Amino acid sequence: MKRHILIAAAAATLVAGATPAAAANRLIVPNVAVAVAKSPMMVQADREWNRLGARPGPLAETWTLDGDVLNRLDFYGGLLAGTTLFREVDRRNRPLPKLRADMLPTDIPTLFEQSYRIAQNTSLFTIDSVAPATLGGANGVRFTYSFVRQDEDVTRKGEAVAAMVGGKLWLISFEAPALHYFDAGIASARTIIASAKLPGK
Amino acid sequence: MKRLGLARLSAALLLAGAALPVAAQLPAAPAAAPPAQLPPIPAWGGTLEPQDRDERGLWMMSADDEQLIRGSRFVIDDPALNAYVRGVLCKAVGADRCQSVRLYVMRVPVFNASMHPNGMMQIWSGALLRMRGEAELAAVLGHEFAHYERRHSLAGFKQARAATDAALWAAFIPIAGLAVSLGALQGFFIYNQAQEKEADLGGLSFVQRAGYSTAAFADVWERLIAEEDAGRVARGQKPRAGRRSGFFATHPPSAERMTYLRALARQAADTGDPGAASLRAGLGAWFGRFLEDQVKLNDFGGTEWLLADLARRDGWTGQLLSTRGDLYRLRGQDGDMAIAAGLYREALAKGHADPETRRGLGLALLRQGQQAEGQAMLKAYLEAKPDAGDAAMLRMMAGLPSPATAGPTQ
Ligand SMILES: [Zn+2]
Repeated sequence: MKRHILIAAAAATLVAGATPAAAANRLIVPNVAVAVAKSPMMVQADREWNRLGARPGPLAETWTLDGDVLNRLDFYGGLLAGTTLFREVDRRNRPLPKLRADMLPTDIPTLFEQSYRIAQNTSLFTIDSVAPATLGGANGVRFTYSFVRQDEDVTRKGEAVAAMVGGKLWLISFEAPALHYFDAGIASARTIIASAKLPGK
Repeated sequence: MKRLGLARLSAALLLAGAALPVAAQLPAAPAAAPPAQLPPIPAWGGTLEPQDRDERGLWMMSADDEQLIRGSRFVIDDPALNAYVRGVLCKAVGADRCQSVRLYVMRVPVFNASMHPNGMMQIWSGALLRMRGEAELAAVLGHEFAHYERRHSLAGFKQARAATDAALWAAFIPIAGLAVSLGALQGFFIYNQAQEKEADLGGLSFVQRAGYSTAAFADVWERLIAEEDAGRVARGQKPRAGRRSGFFATHPPSAERMTYLRALARQAADTGDPGAASLRAGLGAWFGRFLEDQVKLNDFGGTEWLLADLARRDGWTGQLLSTRGDLYRLRGQDGDMAIAAGLYREALAKGHADPETRRGLGLALLRQGQQAEGQAMLKAYLEAKPDAGDAAMLRMMAGLPSPATAGPTQ
């Protein structure tokens, strides 16, 4: 019950635009190609999304439909070797793993899992499937995952598509509570992922 | 909203630290004055009930915490593991005392054990992974029970320094930030030096009566400190534990503790069983899962130290070798893949049959550009685990044709 109150509050906050971060939120208009994650990656949405002002990292950005507690679509635009997937949570004591230019397709979900386990304080994270896929015409990987944050009893599901191009990591991930919100948002997320264009591809 | 943000917890711990001169003022036990023998186990007065207003308040907070824990997805509900850990507790403290305990085994890769004043006891998977044997597990659980039986948390609460041993244990581990959200009282019982000694000795009395080795508990502190230091050094930091800063500056000096624990360990009367084999059997397949949780923490130095420590107990088993291979492969720095491949090969040579070893070896070889041999290993893995979650990707990497069913998710 506590959870539902929390979720409702988060959704209300987003709608009301009451948080400081909300000031920088921006509406994503359907059927218009936009550059994402401060990178040359271009995508196009099939419905309205909200871009959050807060970014997971310098070359990343987050979109949401109903508030990032309920669904989030994260874009990572050409991360370089030696950097982390997103901003460190506790660099001194719990540093995140660093990208390598020579990562294999299966190393991408592994890096993703480790980063989430550390940042979300969870030992309940599993990669459920890993399969070949393309992102913006580049050969890469599609993986699904599920996890529980430590302070929640909600199972979250996620799906991501990623590719290494010229030693840089490009990745788009969608995640939401398994109950209702994942299924409600995944179709639009897949449409956006399928629309992605990478530079030089 | 019983959850505390890390910032609030840190602030609270700082406050607790500020109040600690109370503990520091306690007369320091004369150095190296080991007890001649363990204290007798007092008669059991039956399950505790709150006796005054303070204690009722503490129990109400504990009940809230327990409700949170009971509903947590991090509770391991495997009946076999619960029966084993509870069995060790009951063997240690005895069947009558054991009845008053509700035990929760949590999947959190941090060394921690705690007991709330209302009878809720927790042990985290990070502690189970680090136990040398069943005797040590009995000593830790007995130690926590001794705090409970002596109402130590109430005394602490009355001094406005309430806490659990979570802070005490977790302060040793680099990932102390983990798991702070599992209840308001979690991380708040910081017991004073005299209480710790009482709990150490009381716990060991249980352990001795149950026929376990009383040497069990002697070096658990040193091992935690060494592991923390190894993690720091690998991250290019200075070892901290030995310098008495942070936790050590505000807590009973653990040197004194190590002295009396060691003195007990040396006593000739100790003919008990450390219980390494029974612990391994009791943890069963969970041991491998806890190892995997540890490897994924990205704490290379601490994990290297821990694996070597486990190898001091068990020898370098195929499982430990393969796990160490994973550790190097996940770090993936220059030269690591060759080391990982060597470790996986050693594991295979020891007859380690887990297909994951072949997967790890295959990936380590591919990362080194050893295509043919790497692909052969991935094929061997796929033969053993055709339905693996990553089979579709690995088939492609192994140069196998993709079956019609292995397309992208619809
Ligand atoms: Zn204690």
